[in-house]
Amino acid sequence: MGGTLALTKAEISRLRRNKRYMIFTVALPVMFYLIFGKSQTTGYGVSFAAFYMVGMASFGAFSGAFNNNTIRISQERKDGWIRQLRLTPLPANAYVVAKVLTSMVTTVPSILIVFLLGRFYAHVQMPIWKWVVCAVAIWIGTLIFAALAVALGYKLNPDSVQPVTIVVFFAFSIFGGLWFPLSGALAKFGEFTPTYQIVKISTDVIAQGSVALVNVIGLVVWFAIFAVLATFAVRSTAETV
Amino acid sequence: MGQYQAGYATALSSAASYGASRGGAPVVSFENVSKHYGNLHAVDGLTLDLRHGETVALLGPNGAGKSTSLDMLLALRKPTSGRIEMFGSDPYHAVKSGRVGAMLQSGGLMPEVTVRELVTLITKLHPKPEPVETTLKRAGIAQFADQRVDRLSGGQTQRVRFALAICGQSELIVLDEPTTAMDVETRRLFWASMKEEVAGGRTLLFATHYLEEADQAADRILVINRGRLLADGTPAEIKQRAGAKRLSFKLDRVEEQFLLGLPGLVNLEIRHDVVQIQTSDSDATLYAVLDAGHRPHEIEVGSLGLEQAFIAITAEDDAANGNAHAGETI
Repeated sequence: MGGTLALTKAEISRLRRNKRYMIFTVALPVMFYLIFGKSQTTGYGVSFAAFYMVGMASFGAFSGAFNNNTIRISQERKDGWIRQLRLTPLPANAYVVAKVLTSMVTTVPSILIVFLLGRFYAHVQMPIWKWVVCAVAIWIGTLIFAALAVALGYKLNPDSVQPVTIVVFFAFSIFGGLWFPLSGALAKFGEFTPTYQIVKISTDVIAQGSVALVNVIGLVVWFAIFAVLATFAVRSTAETV
Repeated sequence: MGQYQAGYATALSSAASYGASRGGAPVVSFENVSKHYGNLHAVDGLTLDLRHGETVALLGPNGAGKSTSLDMLLALRKPTSGRIEMFGSDPYHAVKSGRVGAMLQSGGLMPEVTVRELVTLITKLHPKPEPVETTLKRAGIAQFADQRVDRLSGGQTQRVRFALAICGQSELIVLDEPTTAMDVETRRLFWASMKEEVAGGRTLLFATHYLEEADQAADRILVINRGRLLADGTPAEIKQRAGAKRLSFKLDRVEEQFLLGLPGLVNLEIRHDVVQIQTSDSDATLYAVLDAGHRPHEIEVGSLGLEQAFIAITAEDDAANGNAHAGETI
């Protein structure tokens, strides 16, 4: 485990230097929140300030766990970095474990910063436990995208992973209601996305102090699907990486 | 003009027993190892042993199965059949024990970190590593240790890969075409530092298609072609086995049948009155010519380099396999 943690530390210090990563996971959500966070409407039964806080925190964490990982994993597989690691005493799964651990660490700031803006800029008020539950729900919820990122990164080469990542990213962001609350037919469709489950669980906590079982099950099912895809993708390339 | 090739089968049949004649348990052993991709026999029944402290060159043309063999040794690929052992264990666990340091052609580096950070990371993963500064110096990368890995030249990148292979002070070092992308001077420096590395009794296995590299650096050469081991011995033995002397002279009356029957003959070329012979025993060949009453003139006897030996060995193998199989092997 020591080796895997050393690799995780190196991965985190890489990301800290990566401007593109910082822009997508921290700067963009913060900027959007500063612009729209004080809007006087409502969404999913909570004030827009609270809804948009949940949406932007999820957006930052989602792109941190997903966009960044798909492209990197695919590129590092092509470059032979994964092969190189397999020649070290690191256990075979260390690379994937380190990527997931790195996502667990690096998605924290984007959630925290947007939550702080929600509290002190847009003046969202709620009991402390709701802050904690929402932050943890978003954090754990977005981590399931690390699994999807592993699946796509291992399966697709760098040329094709880029457009697929962008399509998945926009689809889950928009139809999941991260950017604005959905209504009508779009909402019916969007209800199935994993990102919607994350937003719904958080807004339900804020509005009623409880969550609907269906959303939790939805999230678990999506995670199971992504994890199975990731396992197959990693196994199928075991001979060639 | 005609060209004939005699067989090397007898000369080479003792090849497989070479490794076994040395003492101690093998560091690496391949037992009838094959790797097939459908009809393609990338590696075909490879059997060999590496002993402690040897510097061994795996020599073969591109596509001979060198990289596939090393991949299997390093647990990156599974053999279709046969058994590979390293330090008495299976390849995967041997690699995970840190007793092997390797550098592959296809091995990439982590971008966005400095050379020092990368070497430090890999060093930390090994149980008994070399101090990072020592590795940087030995690999000749100390002067650009604070540069980012993704901003290095090809030769510099290659040296960083080499650093990753030696930083663990592993007992066995495996290098796949280590000097590709290096200029002549860097190549010379590389082998100088490599000799230092293995001076302490470490075992070195490297694949190459540069003959002079195998000749100068290795104390044992394994010649492979079409995934099979064709010859195994010291550079001197390999040259000899392939008919390592060149004999040429002029004859007034050239008799092809007579020349083909000469002792030691490996290869014969006749151009008008000039006879060129490749032979494993130039003395015997020449005496036989004289004993038969011929008076050749402008006699020249010279040594063949490893290159000609290598070409002769692989050409013989290709001829023996015929063109029918040419499309099936890489």
